[in-house]
Parts: sequence; C-alpha cells; structure tokens
Amino acid sequence: MSGVDQLQYLSWFVYLLVFALVLLRTIGRPTPAHIDMTLFFGALALIVVLGLAGRLGLRLPGPVTDDVVAIAALALGYLLLRVVADFSRVSAFVMRAVEIGMLVSIVALVITPAPLPTPTAMVVVAYLVVVLGFDGFAFARQAARSRGGTRRRMQAAAVASVLVAVVLVIAGVQLAVPQFSPALQDLSAALALASGIGYYIGFAPPTWLRRAWQEPEVRAFLSRAVHLAGLADTRDIVEELERASADAFGAPAARIALWDADKNCLLVDGSPLPATLASAWSRQRPSLMSLDLAKVENEQTGSFGVHDASAALSAPITAYARRIGLLIAFAPRSPVFANSDLELVQLLADQTAVILESKKLIDQAAEVRAREEATRLKDDFLSSAAHDLKTPLTGIITQAQVLQRRAERDPEAPPDRVGLNRLVEQSHRLNKLVLELLDVSRLEHGSLVGDCELMDLGLLFRVVAQQERSRWKRVEFHASESVVAPVDPPRFEQVVTNLVENALKYSPAQATVRVELWRDGNEARLSVLDEGIGVPAEDQPRVFERFHRGKNVDDRHFAGMGLGLYIARGIVEQHGGRIWVESTPGAGSTFHVAIPASISHVEEPVQRVS
Amino acid sequence: MQRPILVIDDDPTILATVAEALDLEGFPVVTATNGAEGLEVMDRGPKRPALVLLDMRMPVLDGWEFMRAVRERGLSISVIVMTAAADARRWAREIDAHGVLAKPFELDELMAQVQRLLPTAPPCAET
Repeated sequence: MSGVDQLQYLSWFVYLLVFALVLLRTIGRPTPAHIDMTLFFGALALIVVLGLAGRLGLRLPGPVTDDVVAIAALALGYLLLRVVADFSRVSAFVMRAVEIGMLVSIVALVITPAPLPTPTAMVVVAYLVVVLGFDGFAFARQAARSRGGTRRRMQAAAVASVLVAVVLVIAGVQLAVPQFSPALQDLSAALALASGIGYYIGFAPPTWLRRAWQEPEVRAFLSRAVHLAGLADTRDIVEELERASADAFGAPAARIALWDADKNCLLVDGSPLPATLASAWSRQRPSLMSLDLAKVENEQTGSFGVHDASAALSAPITAYARRIGLLIAFAPRSPVFANSDLELVQLLADQTAVILESKKLIDQAAEVRAREEATRLKDDFLSSAAHDLKTPLTGIITQAQVLQRRAERDPEAPPDRVGLNRLVEQSHRLNKLVLELLDVSRLEHGSLVGDCELMDLGLLFRVVAQQERSRWKRVEFHASESVVAPVDPPRFEQVVTNLVENALKYSPAQATVRVELWRDGNEARLSVLDEGIGVPAEDQPRVFERFHRGKNVDDRHFAGMGLGLYIARGIVEQHGGRIWVESTPGAGSTFHVAIPASISHVEEPVQRVS
Repeated sequence: MQRPILVIDDDPTILATVAEALDLEGFPVVTATNGAEGLEVMDRGPKRPALVLLDMRMPVLDGWEFMRAVRERGLSISVIVMTAAADARRWAREIDAHGVLAKPFELDELMAQVQRLLPTAPPCAET
C-alpha cells in the first residue's frame, strides 16, 4: 500500500468515526443542529463507503456509483450551510441560490453522459468551492463571536471546511491540467486527512479536549464567585452569579431561579419562572429548550428581561440533594454544540450551588449569633433592671424598719421627718424606674410620644433645671435665641433629663456639663457636652441601642439599665428628629439632638410647664 | 469607746438608713460613699473599724479594689458584703467576706450578722 493510500484510508476512517459519533449524539439529543450535522457527515460517509467498496473490489454498477458519489459530494456544501443556518442567520436568498445551484448541478451531472465535459465539471467544482468557502467563512465569523470550547470548535470547523474547498480546487486543477495530477495526489490526500481531523475536533471532540477548553471559563467564573458568599444581600450574589455565568457562557444573559418552598414555585427576582423554562427542574438534569420568547413573556406579567434569545440551556442547582433552584443561560440561537454547552451550564450550576449554600450557612451562623447576643442583652438587662430596682427598695425597707423600731421603742416620740421624707423620695425613685421600664415597652409599641404643642425649649429646659437644681449644680445652659418647636413637653423633658443625667454620670466629679440650644434652619438643635470618659468609636453607633453600654463602662462602677439613651432616641425619632453622638474617648462626648422646629415665629408659644 | 462599724455604699439613702439602724442599736458608725473614702477612714480614722459593711459596685474605688488595698496594708478586718447583684454570694467568696447581705435585706438579718461577727456587741441601746 502506498503512502497516498495509507493517507486516504486514514482520512476515510476519520470521516466514518466522526459520522458515527455525530449519529450517536443525534440519537441521544435530536436537535436540528445535530440532525443537520448527521446529514452532512452522512453524505461524507456515503462517499467514503462507496470509495471503500470500490477499493475492496465490490463492483457496484459503475455509473450508479459514480452518480451517487457525485450527488453526495454536490450536496455537501448545501448540507453544511444548513448547519451554519442553525447557529447564524443565513439569508433566504443565499439559501435558495445554493439549493438551486445544487439541483442544477445534479441534473447536469445525471443527464450528461460520463465523462463530464471539462468546462461543466469546472463550473460544478466552482459552485462547491464557493459554497464550502462561504460555510468556512461563516464558521470563522461565529468563532470570533464565541468563546471557550465553542470558539475552538468553530475554528476547527472553519479550517476543515476551507480545506475541503481546497481539495476540491485541486480536483478541479487535476481535471483541467491532467499532467499535474500525480504531483497533486499527495497534497490532496494530506489535506483531506487534515480536514477530517478538523471536523473531528470541531464536531466530535473527545471529552478531555472539551474539558480543557472549558477550563478557562470555569476558572474565570470561580475567581469571580469565590468572594460572593461574603456579600450581605443574597440578591446581589444571585445577580453577580448571573452575570458571571452569562460571561463564562458567552451568552447575552443568564438567570437564576430559586425554589421558594412557601410559594411552592421557582422565583426569578421575585416573580414566578415561566413553566416552559422549568423543564430542567422537573427532570433534575440539564435541558435544552427552544424558546418562543413571546410565549415565555406572556406567561408572566412584565418582561423576563431577556431579549433576542431563541434557546435556553438550564441546569438544576442542587446541594447535598437539596434542590436550590435552576440556572438558565439564554442563547441567541439554538446551540450547535448543545452537549458541551449543557455540560458547562451544569458545571456553573454546581458552583452556584456551592456559593449559595455557603451564603446560607453564613446567614444561619449570623442568625444564631444575633439570637445569642439578644438573649445575652436580655439577661444583662434583667439583672441590671433587678439591681436598679433593688437599690431604692433597700432604702425603703431599711428606713421603714428603722421607723418601726423607733416607734416600738418610744411610741410617744415625734415622727422622724427625715426618715419619712427618705421613704417618700425612695418610693418616687422606684416609681421612676418602673415608669422607665414601661416607657421602653410603650416605645416599642410606638405609643410613647403623645400630642405635641409649640413650646419654648429654653424655658422648658430652665424649668427642668430648676426642679433638679440640687443635682444639676454643674450644668451650664447657653441659648443665643428663643427656640420654639412642637414637642410633647414631658417627653422632651425626658430627653433633656436623660442626656444631662448621662453626661453627669460619666463625668469626673468637678467637671461641668454644658447644654446648648440654638436654631439651625428649620431645625431646633440641642447639644449636651461633657468632659467624661467618652464613647469609643466602635460603640458610637450602638450607644442608642436597647440595653447597650459602652465597652469602657465598667459594670462595677456604673450601675444602670442602659435605657436612658434608648428612650431618648425613641422620643426624638417619634418627633421626626435625629440624635447622634460625637466623642473622643477620655476627653468627653457631645450628644446632639435635631428636631423639626416650627416655621412660624408669630405664633405665641404655649408657656406651659408640667 | 468601742471600735466603730464602717459602712461603705455609694447610695446616700442606703448609707444613711443603715447607719441609722446600727446607731439605733447602739453601735458606733462611720460612713463612706466609696472605697477610697473607706480607705481614708481605715488609714486616718481615730479608731480602726471593727467591721466593714461593704457595697461592691461603686464609683472611684469599688469593693474589690478596696479589699485589695486593705490587704496590701496588712490589715485584717471582718467584712459583710451588701449588694443588689445576683452574684452576691460569688462576689463575697471572691473577697473572702465573712457575711453577705443581698439587697434588699431585713433589718433583723443585718443585726444578726453584725452581732455574729462582733461577739462583744453592746447590749440593746435602750437598756
């Protein structure tokens, strides 16, 4: 057997192999693209089988064999164009022209007795070269638009198609100039083998090659996805995964549908997934669907947000047998290489499952921590509240029993006024604490602040300061103007009292507390400045939280319920205002309050003091 | 004159009423509103107290710091912890106190503990 023969047998083997592989795939998943590929390689296989039969000496009726081979060869260009039309738009004009060219060529071939006159043969060859060249160009153009495996396969198909065209050109040259024929025999055989390998790589690549081509896309997807589980909002994660999937896939869009156990349906961005897209969910394996987008959009209110897609590839997102959802990649046309695309979609869906599952675990852990923190705060609060209530109670019980003993020992003695006053005072103190606890409960029901009336805030402050003068000796008040605002007077007094008491509590014994009142645009502004221990930066946003106390507050030194600032914030916010703190630990704090002030200066403030 | 009982508590009402109750029973009493003032009494008072009634959570110098300072001075003294905290017994053990009064306490309980620790307690003031 000569070298040329060996080459020819080898390329025949490759063509038959590709046909067998493509046929098997079509039986497994008969998509239009798969069927068209099978027809194309079927025509090639037919030519090969008849050639092989000739070589083996199985003489079929000569003219019929030649005609069949010629017809099959002439059909190649058209059949490959059908494959091209499966993934890109081929104008009807081109399609018709190619069909007519094929029919005319076939008719010419059948009615003309062999051998074909050279000029006719040249025209037929030229027709085939043009059509195969066009197919090759279409593959190359699609390769430029694709990525990953699809790109490589399109490139291989383009090269293979061009090589077939070149082989045909050589055949034409052999017909026209027979003396070149032997020299071109080797080249033609080598090119035919190369084209066979090209088609093998393009249309039936081995698994390891497909994996290797997918790897960069999967890697890029993973490097984007790896940080996603840390994002706070699951919606952001889903959106980013959708973008990364679309990019990895080279698709215009991808969507993730998540299973909602309560509603018993798949949701995309809150709205139900159209039933036509959910087939991969019910089958729990990757699925390819041809789409009629209009129908899909009709199935749900509003647009699905994906346009210009005629196919959807979807794969179930599953973690530890728990069905999480569905990843759907949209393709503008039905994919040529559906199997490897579905493989990729399933790979991305698996990675998506890992990320969504991690996010779920992170959320669960955070929830547990938050619950533990809430329980701890509640326990702390209860023991703190109990401590605060017990202190005046101790004074009351001790004082009452002292009075009792005195009375028992000397019934005639005059009443102990100091002791009685203490009893009353401690009872009030106890009552105040109980009211504070009730305030928290009302605050949480939103019913703490009642009717507001226009008040002169400076006057209101002075009245409170007068009532508390024995304890507020170190409190200075500055107001450059009269500030009037609609407030619930007893509640606003409570804000002022809480802030001043707080400042005094955390200040050194001789330090002053400065209260400033002014008007800033449409806001009444109050600030309370102290030279106390301050609030560390990390505690500043949390000082107004229920039960919260600063890290630098030693429980042993400062007993208290940690409710004063919480109540103050609640009251200010129910007045439509804001409260915040600025502080330098060790140097002091300034608590700021801003509430909407009355616009009208004309209206006489109500000078009522509770 | 017998050695006084030192009462340390940052709450002025409790301080005053406990002092008054002890006074009523004839015990001499000195008071302090925090550990630092208490130490002052220990260091400079005319007579070293026989017993300390000690609150634990106080500003400036708390009960633990007060006890550490007392031990550093090599003084040994009977102590009764008075606290409203749930951890009263644990805190009392921490500082090796001789008694514990969980606020709010009964006057009888206060007297019983004081008399247990001061065997030379005076007879009732009335007699």
